[in-house]
Amino acid sequence: MAVKVAQEWFAICGGCEVTILDVGEPLIDLLAELEFVHMPVIMDHKLYGQTGEESKADIPEADVGILTGSIRNEENKELAELMRSRVNFLISMGSCACYGGVPALANQFAVDEIYQRVYQGNSTTDPGETPAEGLPALLDRVYAVHEVVDVDLMLPGCPTTPDMFVAAVMHLLKGTPFALETKSVCDQCPTIREQKTGEGITLKRPLESVEGVGEALETVRCFMEQGYLCQGPATRAGCGGMDGGTPRCIRAYMPCRGCFGPLTDQANPMVDMMGAISTIGLNPRDIPDRAAQFNRFAGSGRLRTKRR
Amino acid sequence: MSDYEPLIIAYTCYWCSYTAADLAGTSRIQYPPNVRIIRVQCSGMVHPNLVIDALTKGADGVLMCGCHPGDCHYREGNLRAQARADALDLMLEDFDLEPERFRLSWVAASEGPQFAQVVKDMVEELREIGPSIYK
Repeated sequence: MAVKVAQEWFAICGGCEVTILDVGEPLIDLLAELEFVHMPVIMDHKLYGQTGEESKADIPEADVGILTGSIRNEENKELAELMRSRVNFLISMGSCACYGGVPALANQFAVDEIYQRVYQGNSTTDPGETPAEGLPALLDRVYAVHEVVDVDLMLPGCPTTPDMFVAAVMHLLKGTPFALETKSVCDQCPTIREQKTGEGITLKRPLESVEGVGEALETVRCFMEQGYLCQGPATRAGCGGMDGGTPRCIRAYMPCRGCFGPLTDQANPMVDMMGAISTIGLNPRDIPDRAAQFNRFAGSGRLRTKRR
Repeated sequence: MSDYEPLIIAYTCYWCSYTAADLAGTSRIQYPPNVRIIRVQCSGMVHPNLVIDALTKGADGVLMCGCHPGDCHYREGNLRAQARADALDLMLEDFDLEPERFRLSWVAASEGPQFAQVVKDMVEELREIGPSIYK
């Protein structure tokens, strides 16, 4: 009997759904064993019945629920609770669902500041009223899914990788063990670390290309030691694939941006990174907007409203 | 507020500052009992995580003590501590903590009275600004 899967999306770009489509050929085998009963991105299944005849939103019962995106408004929260009550096993997929992701950068501002900025204070649009009718109200901040309902498995990444998704699903189908990587991106990075302290290194912008583009990574110097803000030391490994391959951004000669989130739930990437860059001799004062820079994908519960 | 006693976690290095604290004790120098001393091998091994964790989990202040610059047993450990302290000074703001809550002081092994003075000063300052918001 096919395993029933329900999926719902919240504050998200849709990239994690594309990851599911990006699985490629293994998807053909998987689809025989999975039955999607609710998935707004690919199928027309409505919450209030197909003709809107129901008065209460409902999601069909399923074995596995997948939630993507962070919880931004009342509707997201209600649907997350509804999903939790309808499924046996809940997966939060992608860094938005796991750690707040990019939408959680808004946690640096109070909700009324956001409304003011978007509807009145924007220089490129005409000021207007904040719409209130028929729209769900924003919550006081952006939440990760596990802060609202219990989650059984978190699959981080922006977006998460297709083979991690497949491995997690296979784990559910066969009962084989599945665990996230506990090492950092640096542990899987092949570049050369020459010395712990870089003498006279200066901070470089990520737009400037690293030294050694196109050469074998084993001969290229650590991007951090070259002066780039590479978030490898404070980021969970796994983006290179389930077999521990070279991290995705490093493979493209780009510094790590931290999309797999912090190494542990308690860790704060900003503190880790500020410690790391001051230790290797970069000036911590040169970092633009350090809180958002280093918590770009992990803002839920870590970014605080700035005092003004 | 009247029964508020600030709690200070002090990371002191084995070679200088811990010895200074020891000297303050054996010399019978009086100083406030608000400080909890943790001996570390070098001030350069105190990662910012240890300081932020202490401050966000109940400590009112963190004191970090090491050898004077140039005197480090490991040659440049205290310079690393200084670099990290600069980063910490910046980050206190991100956690809504007052700058007085973290202090870096150089205390040599012979400076028992100076160690007692640093603790006295810090306790007084923390008494003025009140308990941490994380308490």
